[in-house]
Amino acid sequence: MPANGKLVRITLAFAAVAAVAVTATGVASARQANTSISGAGSTFVAPLVSAWINPVANQLHINMSYNAIGSGGGIAAIQGRTVDFGASDAPLTPSQFAGCVVGGVHCLQIPWALAGTAVIYHLNGSGLPVHLKLTGAVLAGIYLGKITYWDNKAIKAINKGVKIPHTPIVVVHRSDGSGTTYNFTDYLSHVSATWKSRVGTGTAVSWPTGEGEAHSSGVAAAVVSTNGAIGYADVDYALVNHLHYAAMQNRSGKYVVPTLATIKAASNLDTKPKVDGSLSIVDPPNEGNNYVNAYPISTYTYIIVPQKTAKAAALKKLIGWAITKGQAYGKSILFVPIVPKIVTFDQGQLAKISN
Amino acid sequence: MSTLDPTTDPTRRPFSGRRVRLGDLILQAVAGAAAVGAIVLLGLIGYKVVQGAKLSLSTFGLGFISHVGWDPVHLRYAAGSLLFGTAVTSLGALVLATPLALAIALFLSELAPAGIRGPATALIETLAAIPSVVIGLWGIFVLGPLLQGHVDPALHSVLGFIPLFGPAQYASNIFTAIVVLTIMILPIIASISRELFLGVPAELKEAALGLGATRWEMVRGVILPYTRSGVAAAMILGLGRALGEAIAVAQVIGAFDNGFGWNIFNTGDTIAAKIAVQFLNVGSPSELSALFYLALILLVFSLVVNFAAQLIVRRLAHRQGLAT
Repeated sequence: MPANGKLVRITLAFAAVAAVAVTATGVASARQANTSISGAGSTFVAPLVSAWINPVANQLHINMSYNAIGSGGGIAAIQGRTVDFGASDAPLTPSQFAGCVVGGVHCLQIPWALAGTAVIYHLNGSGLPVHLKLTGAVLAGIYLGKITYWDNKAIKAINKGVKIPHTPIVVVHRSDGSGTTYNFTDYLSHVSATWKSRVGTGTAVSWPTGEGEAHSSGVAAAVVSTNGAIGYADVDYALVNHLHYAAMQNRSGKYVVPTLATIKAASNLDTKPKVDGSLSIVDPPNEGNNYVNAYPISTYTYIIVPQKTAKAAALKKLIGWAITKGQAYGKSILFVPIVPKIVTFDQGQLAKISN
Repeated sequence: MSTLDPTTDPTRRPFSGRRVRLGDLILQAVAGAAAVGAIVLLGLIGYKVVQGAKLSLSTFGLGFISHVGWDPVHLRYAAGSLLFGTAVTSLGALVLATPLALAIALFLSELAPAGIRGPATALIETLAAIPSVVIGLWGIFVLGPLLQGHVDPALHSVLGFIPLFGPAQYASNIFTAIVVLTIMILPIIASISRELFLGVPAELKEAALGLGATRWEMVRGVILPYTRSGVAAAMILGLGRALGEAIAVAQVIGAFDNGFGWNIFNTGDTIAAKIAVQFLNVGSPSELSALFYLALILLVFSLVVNFAAQLIVRRLAHRQGLAT
């Protein structure tokens, strides 16, 4: 019937217009939609990256997702190009750099955050200070299995006047590959020749003694449950979980705990990254007043990106923001803002990224 | 024997002759493809593992199996203490779990009041459904500290003269791993045994009771021998699960790869746990290849255990067949 036919035609016309309108807005909003960037790696830097997700989405229109599977996992992921960036606390070895070459495209290593590793412990006793004092030599002795009781002569000599109970030391370390382990063993290799020759530095090493736990959460759980336990975890972890941590003696003779100021003091040791982008700031030497307040177990952590990538523009925007505005988000979780010299180096690295 | 010709049989629908043959064909093809696919998958996995292990096989050879020590910094890898840890934890779990599981199965099949049986069975089978990660988490936050605080020192003070129960220091140790594995394989053995016990013919049980046997004598003399081969198969199934359990064990075993020791309160490590914990974090191709070598050892180990299981089950069933 003609009336129905007209109605049908009008309805169809409206439907067509509506469909076109919806598609147009769909296309328009797709153009304004956020780019996605995915990353994986270090658990050490995970709290800072998490703090960045919202501001990055709002200010840069980038949807960042990060999977904290450990430094080794991050390196493997970026080598396989299954993520847009990898994050590692341990700098890449030459063979890992070689493994990161895909289709002739190399990877860049860019230091983007700075923090420290705390030596956590659990010791029950009355009159114990908030931060027990330890030296590098004593710490190495503990982890080598040579010092087995908390009231060992060496520990008592450092903590004069403190009544330390006769508790056996239970050594706890990481069982999985970890950048925190790298930082910790790097420090022990610096302060103990025996450690350096017998065990060495690595994301996973052959521990002479102690129990291995998976992830910082495992280490923390073991330390909390065992009287006499000693372990290591990133500083933020120790703070958030209210763990006791030691005051470590630096080369200048001072006993320091990890704080924004002491980690920053350590970072003054190395402000010129090597060609591959790595920096070493553990165990700063005794040079007058230079590193008097330095915390000796500090470390940079790195982002690893391919030099040629389809997401070059977004990555450059993201990293450029992270090393400048993003650093402010780290202060409350004990990530020290990286110094201008490093920022300049990083921007030079960023300029090498292209489509 | 008379067969109706499908093309002339009036009871069939028209064209059904062709359809029946096509249906059969499709069934054969799909089922056959699935079976072949499974075998091909097994072959592919085996091939990939062997390929990955080639570098380690040539570097370390068979010494990998007997030597001890896992050193990623100096690139020296060996599976000795891992194999030892795998054997100790799996066998330990089996030794602890089997009597418990049989007791549970007996309770559920013979001794429990009728009203409890259903819910109790369901609850015990739910134990098997708990994911390994959750048990690992519970192990490290609850079980480990509990054993470390109360059980380990008590066992050491009472049984300390046996090297097995040496000094206890760690929350994560071989004993904790054994307890965790026991909890994981208990429901498997218990539920299979329960089914087996329910399948024992009533006449046999009643005959024994009628002859004046006590309940326990009936269990010992009728139920257990009758279900011998099935219980053995259940135990092997549990052993298989214990051998391969990676995540839960990794959380509670303490990752010690540098020696053998008889003290179950010392830290240790198993092959599966090592692979699970290190696989994502390999720093070099040689470490990756060493992990593949570990995987190869575990594969071969599991195949041998399965093969031995089939032999045992067949031998026990054969004997029982002759007896009845």
